[in-house]
Amino acid sequence: MSDLLIIFRKPPVGTSWAREALDLALVGAAFGQQASLVFMGDGVYQLLDNQQPDQVEQKGTQAMMKALPMYDIDQIFVSEESLSERGLTKDQLGFDCELIGQTELQALLKTHKQVFNF
Amino acid sequence: MLNLADKQIPTDEEGYLENLSDWQPEVAELIAEAEGLELTESHWEILNLLRQFYQEFELSPAMRPLVKYIGIHLDKDKAKSIYLMQLFGESPAKLASKLAGLPKPTNCL
Amino acid sequence: MNYSIAIYGGPYSDQSAHSALHFARAVLKREHSIQRVFFYHDGVYNSSALVSPPQDEANVPAQWQELAKEHDIELVVCIAAAVRRGLLDEKEAKRYSKATHNLADGFTLSGLGQLIDAGMTCDRLITFGA
Repeated sequence: MSDLLIIFRKPPVGTSWAREALDLALVGAAFGQQASLVFMGDGVYQLLDNQQPDQVEQKGTQAMMKALPMYDIDQIFVSEESLSERGLTKDQLGFDCELIGQTELQALLKTHKQVFNF
Repeated sequence: MLNLADKQIPTDEEGYLENLSDWQPEVAELIAEAEGLELTESHWEILNLLRQFYQEFELSPAMRPLVKYIGIHLDKDKAKSIYLMQLFGESPAKLASKLAGLPKPTNCL
Repeated sequence: MNYSIAIYGGPYSDQSAHSALHFARAVLKREHSIQRVFFYHDGVYNSSALVSPPQDEANVPAQWQELAKEHDIELVVCIAAAVRRGLLDEKEAKRYSKATHNLADGFTLSGLGQLIDAGMTCDRLITFGA
């Protein structure tokens, strides 16, 4: 069981939420805390392959996300419902992640002492 | 400010480059000189890897991810913080980032 | 119980900054303690010394200063989020060669580790503005 559960609900660009949530995950890891990440709502867009944040003069999160294994963050969950609501499928995602439903999400929330919601 | 041949390269108070695009190996040598460090091949191996890390992830790494990355790309016995400290002193991730022309780290713990 | 509070919303833009103050007062009134308030995302604007509301609106940074002083609460502002938004203390102003600094007294710039630490060490970490 990991120590931190960080929930990403915002798209990779448009606001700084996604980047700042990811910063927290990386700092948590550097702090010796095992982090699990959940992507839901518009947060699922952070997992899409081939993003071009530079088109809107942003850095986005795609490159940083690729660094997650360097920080030993490998528990990545994505809401199946949020994907299908947006007409997305798992093979469009650029990251290894586990699809979860409402029940699994509830279990994650229940088993983590610390939950950060962005 | 660093003087490279006839060109002046602006740096900030702490010696970080103002413009990351000014970086070239000769600039790293100048920064090293200002830090009282002589760059050997072992230093360069790490600096080049740091630049590769930044290009790949758009991040200046903290110590732990840097060590892990070294373990993947270089000899396992170099993937140790003690090895980096022998090369770059007490805060290796910080000094090496400066030498490699990466953005100034903001995320201090 | 020992609480910490995280604030992600800026004053005068987002209710969360104001609700957090109400919550903090309620917690203290019930004789619980607050160890740390951590300001992140736009919450860093709560720490500006230059906040100048009209006389009939609350001065949020001043209220935090007062509360922190009276109840010995740490006011910690995320350094990375603050510096890029133009909130600097004297040391960072020097580090980034800026002519002036504007972090209000009583607030400290520090790393995100302080937020993780608050979550680890306090009984409750309550977030406003997520």
